[in-house]
Amino acid sequence: MKIVVPYKWTCDPEEATARADGTVDWSRARPGVSTYDPVAIELARGLAQATGAELIGVTVGAKGVGAAIASKAVLSRGLDRVVVVEDDSLKDAGRADIAAVLAAVVGHIGDVDLVVTGDSSVDVAAKMVPTTLAGLLGWPAVAEVAAVTGQPGTLRVERAIPGGVQTLEISGPAVLAASADAVTPHVPGMKDLLAAGKKPVEHLDLASLKVPARSAVMTVTSRSRPERKARKGQMIDTKDPAAAAAELVKALRGAGAL
Amino acid sequence: MDFELTDEQQLIRDAVREFAESEVAPTAAATDRDHRFPAELVPRMAELNIMGIPYPEKYGGAGGDYVSYMLAAEELARACATTSVILLAHCSLATWPVYHFGTEEQKERYLRDMASGRRLGAFALTEPGAGTDAGATTTTAVLKGDEYVLNGSKIFISNAPYAEIYIVFAKTDTAAAGTRGISAFIVERDTPGFTVGEAEHKLGIRGSSTPPLYFADCHIPKDALLGGEGNGFKVAMQTLDGGRIGIAAQALGIAQAALDAAVGYAKERVQFGKPLAAQQAIQWMIADMATAVDAARLLVYRAAWCVDNGRPYGTEGAMAKLFASEAATRVADRAIQVHGGYGYTEDYPVERNYRDAKITEIYEGTSEVQRMVISRAALR
Repeated sequence: MKIVVPYKWTCDPEEATARADGTVDWSRARPGVSTYDPVAIELARGLAQATGAELIGVTVGAKGVGAAIASKAVLSRGLDRVVVVEDDSLKDAGRADIAAVLAAVVGHIGDVDLVVTGDSSVDVAAKMVPTTLAGLLGWPAVAEVAAVTGQPGTLRVERAIPGGVQTLEISGPAVLAASADAVTPHVPGMKDLLAAGKKPVEHLDLASLKVPARSAVMTVTSRSRPERKARKGQMIDTKDPAAAAAELVKALRGAGAL
Repeated sequence: MDFELTDEQQLIRDAVREFAESEVAPTAAATDRDHRFPAELVPRMAELNIMGIPYPEKYGGAGGDYVSYMLAAEELARACATTSVILLAHCSLATWPVYHFGTEEQKERYLRDMASGRRLGAFALTEPGAGTDAGATTTTAVLKGDEYVLNGSKIFISNAPYAEIYIVFAKTDTAAAGTRGISAFIVERDTPGFTVGEAEHKLGIRGSSTPPLYFADCHIPKDALLGGEGNGFKVAMQTLDGGRIGIAAQALGIAQAALDAAVGYAKERVQFGKPLAAQQAIQWMIADMATAVDAARLLVYRAAWCVDNGRPYGTEGAMAKLFASEAATRVADRAIQVHGGYGYTEDYPVERNYRDAKITEIYEGTSEVQRMVISRAALR
């Protein structure tokens, strides 16, 4: 069995700062594995340990995604090998472009039984790549996955739905997007970290891949922020706690917060 | 000159930070408040191979370098100074002499368990009348046939109630003056005649249990001798040469935690209509604190680099410990000042940083001893 886990090497917006003109300064942000990708790796690792599957990490992006530290960071979490497509033409690639290259890599690896992705990337959070990838591969896509067990051809997937858990059986390859809290990623041990550099890393040339052609191009034409409402500055006298609580509840109801 | 950490060092630092933030930090305040040894963290650190980072894999260690080990010590101290010293006392003080001075048979018997973290170690040098003056050791080890018989006592022994393997220093030649005639021994827990006393309550690192040890006609096998008879002082001093780099890393972690807290508080607390961080007096305090922490970091990792590159590190380690420990006390003091009255309460972590920092100026060689080492080198 082969399980592919796409991962992203990127900066966390928490480490970026906003300039006075509204643009983002990323200069002090340190790149790392996108926050929810270790959840996907952990979820896939559990299935791989149960089935003996090979666990393959895949990343695509501009120069830097193939840095040795990036590969070691994910390999230390239990992947058997990684495949990297590093090309500056992907610097401003949209989600559909990224999904298309991922689909080509899955085809290059061959005989892939399952793709497990993170919930979304920490920097863009578009939640589009898993479904777009699945569409290109012609596979079902399942989001909010909390657990996966079974073998190729009889995968059993649990996913969170409003008010409960849904269980699915999938008879063929699929793309699963792990929910952000599906599992708690384990902390890599020191030996795993030190051994990660010895695991295989394959660098693929973008030009050599059969990337599916896109039928449409999506461009962001504008962004806007909701207008900031002026603070009401309403003060509540707390001399009488019971009366103050009642007044607070009334104010919150009036504002539509309760 | 390359000041960057290697990929492995960065990843180790990040992994230990992840462990420290998620599993160590949440219990740090309770560990301190209750004077509680966080015994549950030892097997977790063993599971992550943190307990023997610098030792070869063939001996149960992780096969990492000393810089990585110091990064781990720093990150742990940033979350909890107690947890950091549990690791340091075990890895630097107890495991190191077995690795460097042990016979192959001793390494086979003890090193794998110690470097893997399966069995915790302790280092028993200090006595009621022998602190900085280690030569004033009065615990004796008399050879009788195939055994040594230990009599005496030790105090302030980190990890003692939970350790299983103790490196004990005793006089084998009571006629020899001063530091001569001292030998080192590997003593196992539950050896008849060996008891662990009650731990005292301390100002800081309150979860680090440091009770006395008592030896009353304690018989140990002859092959428990470590490093040859009469070589105990050399074993102790060389062990402490490396151990003090670890204490410097611990001090650095404490200082970093205090600085982080001060910066966070200064950005949020508003007085006179603006955050404290907008006030020049606070800005200058933060500048001094940040500079001290960065200087300490450079000294710690320079000393660790010396270890990794086979360079002499006695003076470098002494400089790192002297500077980092005094910086930690100073930075923690300023951090409380930035916090004002709130910093004086247990609701904020800086008072714990302040109490934890002080011991780093004292144990594993006081600042006065470090000054002796450094001046001796400088005046050669």
